[in-house]
Amino acid sequence: MPLALTVTGLKVYSPSGRRLLSVPELSIPAGAAIAVRGPSGAGKTTFLYALAGLLPFAGEVTWGETGLAALTDSQRTAFRGQAIGFVFQDHLLFEELTAAENAALHAAYAPREARAELRVRGRAFLDQLDLSGGEDRRAGSFSGGERQRIAVARALSNDPAIVLADEPTASLDRRAAEALTEDLIRLARADGRTLIVASHDPLFHERADRIIDIEAGEVVAEAVHG
Amino acid sequence: MGDLWLRLSTTQQDVVILIALLLPAAIVGALTLRGYAPGAMLRGLLRRHWGISLTFTLLIALSVALGTALLAQERGLREGTAQAAEKFNLIVAVPGDEVTTMLAAVYLQATDMPLVDGPTYNAIATHEYVALAAPIAFGDSYQGAPVVGTTEDFVTHLSEGLSEGRMFEEREEAVAGARIDLAIGDSFSPAHGLGDAAVEGAHGDLEYTVVGRMPMTGSPWDRAILVPVESVWEVHGMADGHGLGRELGDIGPPYDPDRFPGTPAVLVQAEALWANYSLRSEFTTERTMAFFPGAVLSRLYGIMGDIREIMSVMAVVTQVLVGAGVLAGLVILTRLLSRRLALLRALGAPRRFIFALTWSFAAILVTTGSILGLLLGLVVSGAISRAITARTDVLVEAQLGWSELHLVAGFVSLTVLLALLPAWLSMRRPVVVDLRG
Repeated sequence: MPLALTVTGLKVYSPSGRRLLSVPELSIPAGAAIAVRGPSGAGKTTFLYALAGLLPFAGEVTWGETGLAALTDSQRTAFRGQAIGFVFQDHLLFEELTAAENAALHAAYAPREARAELRVRGRAFLDQLDLSGGEDRRAGSFSGGERQRIAVARALSNDPAIVLADEPTASLDRRAAEALTEDLIRLARADGRTLIVASHDPLFHERADRIIDIEAGEVVAEAVHG
Repeated sequence: MGDLWLRLSTTQQDVVILIALLLPAAIVGALTLRGYAPGAMLRGLLRRHWGISLTFTLLIALSVALGTALLAQERGLREGTAQAAEKFNLIVAVPGDEVTTMLAAVYLQATDMPLVDGPTYNAIATHEYVALAAPIAFGDSYQGAPVVGTTEDFVTHLSEGLSEGRMFEEREEAVAGARIDLAIGDSFSPAHGLGDAAVEGAHGDLEYTVVGRMPMTGSPWDRAILVPVESVWEVHGMADGHGLGRELGDIGPPYDPDRFPGTPAVLVQAEALWANYSLRSEFTTERTMAFFPGAVLSRLYGIMGDIREIMSVMAVVTQVLVGAGVLAGLVILTRLLSRRLALLRALGAPRRFIFALTWSFAAILVTTGSILGLLLGLVVSGAISRAITARTDVLVEAQLGWSELHLVAGFVSLTVLLALLPAWLSMRRPVVVDLRG
């Protein structure tokens, strides 16, 4: 089920007490594709990590009916495992494992009864991302663009309502970046997932429903595409 | 409970101890891995860090191999020396040091010893409880092998039948030990003395001809040459032990007490087991000492037992130190893994999974290293046994036994319990810091 996001009075501080991020109010409808842009060090990644409950924060981040502030660390982890798919800038794959094993990484710690389905879904997404035939090859043997597509398959294999992507095209060439942008938005929209992408890449900005600009840890502008 | 334990056979008790020692590791493993399937990920980690994993595994293997080989060797040596003394129930000699006498009479480590005289030998040989009273006269050699003067009965007692040829029947005939490099029909001239002190040609024209060979006994007697004791006496310018009524050149008992030149030691075999104690008591006098080599060995083993305990503790301490070193290395390794572990946490893996993954990684290295170590210990032990056998002629067959298995099981359990520490540290690492690398 798609999840809407509501952020209220979100503040993130560094261990030394410096404020890294402040978002007084923000609402994102379920199933929207959002681009977060801003200069390097503006707080885009911190914003994504806070939305995933990876960082301690003040205020409230609510996904659907679930308020992250009230959850324990274990509950936030469980929430991420069930509801969030993550794509990172440098794909962060287990390069010694096969593409299929990477795509179904969640199966290693998922309940026994869910493992088979996770593996099937992982392979299905690899297929949809034009990686069929390479499922049993080691991830390290793929090109950069292909590895990022494996990372997308991994992010989607647990059927998350939310997909968070941090500069997913930053290390790709133009053609691979275009293909990945297309795939990510297509696959997220197909199942009505809420997609939030922190990126400098205009490709995302053009395709997003909405753009959030962050500078120096503050949301400075929001724009809605027509 | 105590009764139940005592009703178990030794093997069953060993199996129970082994299981009990492995149980902590098994319980920790089952609890840690419950509900998870980290196999593929572990394979990936081992592949990625194969160099360091191999190094850790080999370190553990070497430590386990040395520990187990040493302990197995000590046991093998004990069993080998006991087996070599098996045929020597009771030794009678002139009062002195029992250990020195045992080393000379049983293990042929010759030394200058005063001689048991004729009347004393006669009293032993004619005692109603004595089945065999064999003089053992050493002092000569051939190419480093002791030439021992004795009787036909002793050769039969020691060898339980020759493997080749026949018994000596004349004074210039000899029966060779199994490892003597002389063939039936070969002749040799003995040197006076043994080792560096041996004087070649001191016995003039005396030549023995090998007429028989003993089977392997696993004792220093395999590298000895046995000849009639009369020839040893004669060649040293003494009487031949026989008086009137015996033909010239006769060999074997009975001996005339007045013409018996003496022997450093007498092997005594009693008619019955109980009689050994009576004989020991009877021949423990001012003129003679009687002792069971087995009892002397037991005393030595008692001392060795203490050493064994120290060795066991040292082996465990060494292994645990190596294990701790490896675990310290694993703490460093978890830092190398930290970004991947953080990724898993970001994707929704519970802390317990991170704990399980790191612990399993350590457990695999420890278990594989220990199994390899056991196999390596077996090989090392075999090599050391062969070397000791070659040097001492005491057949040492060190094999890994239950005590080594218990030692390794204890080591595995203790080390995998220690591995909980790096596992705990890995799951406490800050996710975002590690994720950013």
